[in-house]
Amino acid sequence: MESSINPSAKKRSFDSPPSELSPPLEDSLLLPTQNMEKPSHIDSDGGLDSRFDQEFKSIVGGDLSIDALRQLEEVSGGDIQRAINMYFDGSWKTMAPKKRKIFHDMSVSVADTGSSKSPKNIPSKIFLGQFGADGWATRSGSKLLSFGDVVGIERQRMRLGDTVPSAGGKSKGKALVADSSQQGGAIGGKSTPLRQRKTQDIVVRFTNSRGEEIGRLAQDTASFVSTLIDQGIAYFEGVCIHAAEKIRTNDTIDLQLSCYLLKESFENSSFRPADTNRVADIFAAKETQDERTLRLRQVALVKLFQKMNLEPKSTNLVTQKHKAAGILQAAEIAEQHEITNISTANKARKTITSDAADESGDEENQSVEEGKELEEDQLNALYQKAQSFNSDTPEAEPADTFAMSLRRYQKQALHWFLSKEKSTNNRVNESIHPLWEEYQWPNTEEDHKKVIRDLGQDSFYVNPYSGELSLKFPKQEQNCLGGILADEMGLGKTIEMLSLIHTHRPEPPSPSIHPTSGFGRLQRQSEDVVPAPFTTLVVAPMSLLAQWESEAEAASKPGTLKTLLYYDSQKKQNLQSLCNASNAANAPNLIITSYGVVLSEFGQVVASGGKRGAHGGLFSVRFFRVILDEAHHIKNRTSKSAKACYELSSDHRWVLTGTPIVNRLEDLFSLVRFLRVEPWSNFSFWKTFITVPFEEKDFIRALDVVQTVLEPLVLRRTKEMRTLDGEPLVPLPKKTTEIVYIKLSKAELDVYRHIEARARSDLARSIEMGTVLKSYTNIFAHVLRLRQACCHPILIRKKEIVDDEMVAEAEYDAAKGFSDDMDLNALIDRYSAEESSASPNLYGANALKEIRDNVENECPMCLSDPMPDQTVTGCLHAACKGCWAHLIETAKTKQELPRCVKCREPINERDLFEVIRSDSPAEEGSQPGSSQGQADITLRRINSRSSAKIEMLVEKLSEVGRSYPERKSCVFSQFTTFLDLIEKELQRRRIKFLRFDGSMSQQKRAEVVNTFKMGQGTNVLLLSLRAGGVGLNLTTASQVFMMDPWWSFAVEAQAIDRVHRMGQTSDVMVYRFVVEGTVEERMVHTIQARKKFIASSLGMMTDEEKKRARMEDIKILLGK
Amino acid sequence: MALPKRIIKETERLVAEPVPGINAVPHEDNLRYFDVTIHGPTQSPYEGGIFRLELFLPEDYPMTPPKIRFLTKIYHPNIDKLGRICLDVLKGNWSPALQIRTILLSIQALLGAPNPDDPLANDVAQRWKEDEKAAIETARAWTVTHAKV
Repeated sequence: MESSINPSAKKRSFDSPPSELSPPLEDSLLLPTQNMEKPSHIDSDGGLDSRFDQEFKSIVGGDLSIDALRQLEEVSGGDIQRAINMYFDGSWKTMAPKKRKIFHDMSVSVADTGSSKSPKNIPSKIFLGQFGADGWATRSGSKLLSFGDVVGIERQRMRLGDTVPSAGGKSKGKALVADSSQQGGAIGGKSTPLRQRKTQDIVVRFTNSRGEEIGRLAQDTASFVSTLIDQGIAYFEGVCIHAAEKIRTNDTIDLQLSCYLLKESFENSSFRPADTNRVADIFAAKETQDERTLRLRQVALVKLFQKMNLEPKSTNLVTQKHKAAGILQAAEIAEQHEITNISTANKARKTITSDAADESGDEENQSVEEGKELEEDQLNALYQKAQSFNSDTPEAEPADTFAMSLRRYQKQALHWFLSKEKSTNNRVNESIHPLWEEYQWPNTEEDHKKVIRDLGQDSFYVNPYSGELSLKFPKQEQNCLGGILADEMGLGKTIEMLSLIHTHRPEPPSPSIHPTSGFGRLQRQSEDVVPAPFTTLVVAPMSLLAQWESEAEAASKPGTLKTLLYYDSQKKQNLQSLCNASNAANAPNLIITSYGVVLSEFGQVVASGGKRGAHGGLFSVRFFRVILDEAHHIKNRTSKSAKACYELSSDHRWVLTGTPIVNRLEDLFSLVRFLRVEPWSNFSFWKTFITVPFEEKDFIRALDVVQTVLEPLVLRRTKEMRTLDGEPLVPLPKKTTEIVYIKLSKAELDVYRHIEARARSDLARSIEMGTVLKSYTNIFAHVLRLRQACCHPILIRKKEIVDDEMVAEAEYDAAKGFSDDMDLNALIDRYSAEESSASPNLYGANALKEIRDNVENECPMCLSDPMPDQTVTGCLHAACKGCWAHLIETAKTKQELPRCVKCREPINERDLFEVIRSDSPAEEGSQPGSSQGQADITLRRINSRSSAKIEMLVEKLSEVGRSYPERKSCVFSQFTTFLDLIEKELQRRRIKFLRFDGSMSQQKRAEVVNTFKMGQGTNVLLLSLRAGGVGLNLTTASQVFMMDPWWSFAVEAQAIDRVHRMGQTSDVMVYRFVVEGTVEERMVHTIQARKKFIASSLGMMTDEEKKRARMEDIKILLGK
Repeated sequence: MALPKRIIKETERLVAEPVPGINAVPHEDNLRYFDVTIHGPTQSPYEGGIFRLELFLPEDYPMTPPKIRFLTKIYHPNIDKLGRICLDVLKGNWSPALQIRTILLSIQALLGAPNPDDPLANDVAQRWKEDEKAAIETARAWTVTHAKV
């Protein structure tokens, strides 16, 4: 009892059990020398002297005086193990001697023991249940055992020397669990080394009432019974169900085992203190040992409960999901993992050592980071789990001193902050700790009922994840008065925090504020850390310090917030004298500093031997609140920055980050560690329950556990979230969507109709023959071609043919001296030079000059002046583009040759050139008439390889370019080949553009997006719907062109949202191009409209079903 | 259907800068329909006469030529008794670059230079070839009879 009152003693390896009940087997386990000769009966009073001394000396090895030995013997009651413990923790000197009681009979009833002495009235052992087990005889003989005989269950031990027993044999589960580093100094090399057993020793033997060994338990039972006995969790006794009268070696003996939970197993159930995470020992072997013990215990308990068919009375959702099997599996995985990772861990340790020597302090040493990177979808799943935000959570109004107005979700955040910081007072909903399960004691028999009455409660609690037991209700401890604010970038984390700083500020003076327990060594060694009860410390990256300062100023009414930039020149100030409680009037409310300062002061404090107070810096005071901005800076828990931040002391701890998990689950651990959330801030706990299952692909389990960690701790809102009324959290600028109906040119339409007819007849035929689904691919291909034909007829033609035509055209141009782009002045020079020849060329030169000089600027057909899109023919006569097109169209319908309106020469459709005047230099005062200083004029072929859609796009783009030269546009198409064509057209028009598609490397993509954002003059970005539809932030653009409709509008909407999202400052115009009277129109109006109601995209349909649904779509599309 | 800009512009110009000897006025209820008068060219058998014509701009004007007919009876080898005119620019040689003004000028020119080799009114053309003097006399007489106001 004494030892359990002293909390530090609990951590000791050889913690002593209460002396009232020390089942004999414990002795036998501890001291293997006894095992063979005197397995279960120790004569405690007689003949002890010599042996006690002997054994004590053999273990401790020191030379103690006889007096000391006698005293030790007395206080320990002759229990050698206890004596050793007391010797090492020094408690033997102060303790009063105690009469030792040892019960020889293993089946001694609980009621007989002095349970009344226990403060909580806990009986020393409590019946848990019974189960059948097989045993194997290890000896032969008759009448060794018969039905109904009581059987003793004991651990079989190897001889001393064969193997050193790992850790204490008797109820010493905690021997391994405890932080053995504390005893390390005392015991030194002489202690029982925690040598790892190569193979698990699981032998459990059973004895008859005479104490003779009869046999051993079968392996499946022994495997967990051994652990339970070793770790002092349970006590077993058995009854023989069946045994042959004459037993021969290897015979099977049926036993019924009764299991009692030992009192110690409950006392044991506190989480280990957080300082097992101590800086130096992350990879130390003993931590692995801890984990291993934990795991053995956990597995054994779960197996035991399984064997006895015990079902939890109450659990929570999480544990329900993880059935015993899952836990066992995880443990096994951990076992293997441990083995394979030992070498890696050793390597890692080396890295760290060398790293530590390197004072330059590169914190993001990648080689040290463990844990696999998370896939994006895993991360999403995780975030989804972590988002506990509910749009109707209550709001809180900021204090009067806060000068800004908050949006609704920001007020909700404030409410959440306040409830977190003040949560000590109002813990209303006491729910069971997520990892624990409640079990009911069996109370079928009178004996047991009495025990339970004594106990005063009929349930107990088990943590199947750690194998811990408890009689106390394990409530979900939330001892962290802070949390993680993980709102997405742009939602105003800084403002939200500033509102908290204003709204929750302590009343001056409150002397009661005092550092509570749970501090690192630094704190303990230097007691004079002074509370700074009015001060919030913000740690931010250097680049954000100024921003914090200015935002703090902007958010506060004048004089309401004293802000101190704690950096460089200001550094000299002594924070202890500045911020202490008595200096309330002058203490800064907000200190802003950088990670660099924290790190360097940490270094100084460590160098000075941990004297925090003397330093007078950040570590010399206990802040009211610490906020880490961009907290992923400390994602690597082994980095010095992270360690430094852990040591900052304060009442409230907050971290701000848009990415609580950058790419590993360990990233999150570091934040939790900073927040000091028990038990998760213990790395081995974290690793065992989260990292390992995760790495072994047991995602659901790991994620669920992470969820239980995160949910009460994290507030995360994304820009996609909506308020109750379906409004976005932050209202975006207006978005106008216009469907642009496009008419195909006759040529395009001819092509389209041709394919359409074929597609329809194919479909009709397959319907007739009932082979619709078989010819799915074929018909689907038709539809694809139709959709491509809407974009550009070339898309559906064979590439080789198109190429051939292009070659022919190029030859023609060469003969005529034309090209797609011609400089007018150069052309005039060329015509003028050909003086030797006849009039046409002279005429040409003159005509071109007229164009250049704007002599005649009226369209001969529509009489518009000036003519829009002045265009010249191959014979160099000018008219507006639309009129030429109309002329050609009319001639074609009359089956006539289109002729020039001026000279009646036949017009070659390709030889139409638009006159492009780049008007920039024209502003320089040059008159239209003057031939000098002329603007650049080019003749640009119009009719080459364009399509109605491209024409429309170019028209819209140049329209915008004229009126809003700064406006940027994104052009999406699902066909990269179509993007190729658009590209060519833009090139010809000298419209600068960028391109983004799936064929590009990640690096190139980033480059493109960046250039688009930064670049002046490049206002068009071509994107493939697939590659550019997700993730990108393209808010620099404010126009979107959707060149072709997709089956489901959601996909298009996602692409549109690249532009219309947080950060967009201007109204967004969306143009959706739809070709009239074609599949496109039907896709938009029928299929997309219907898709809203069908869950086909949710993966709820099989491939076959999807095909069928798609086939229905196709029938609609091809319908007349 | 709204009147194309071109027609409006042409009409305005006909009013603003009238061609001497030619007058074209659109009907108020149909702006595509014009009442036209052409003065017979001097030194032609038609001198002194004022000839009325009707002019209609079809739907796809100027892609197709205007339809023009003499209302006043006229003795001319290229104009038949219904008033239809044989003129290349009103047929295959039409060009959208031509306008009402230009086409009426062409007709005026046709009055001054009959072309019996490309006849529309066969009997008149015959007469013109056989006895040009008598033919011209007849034309002059018709002018006095029909085209004198």
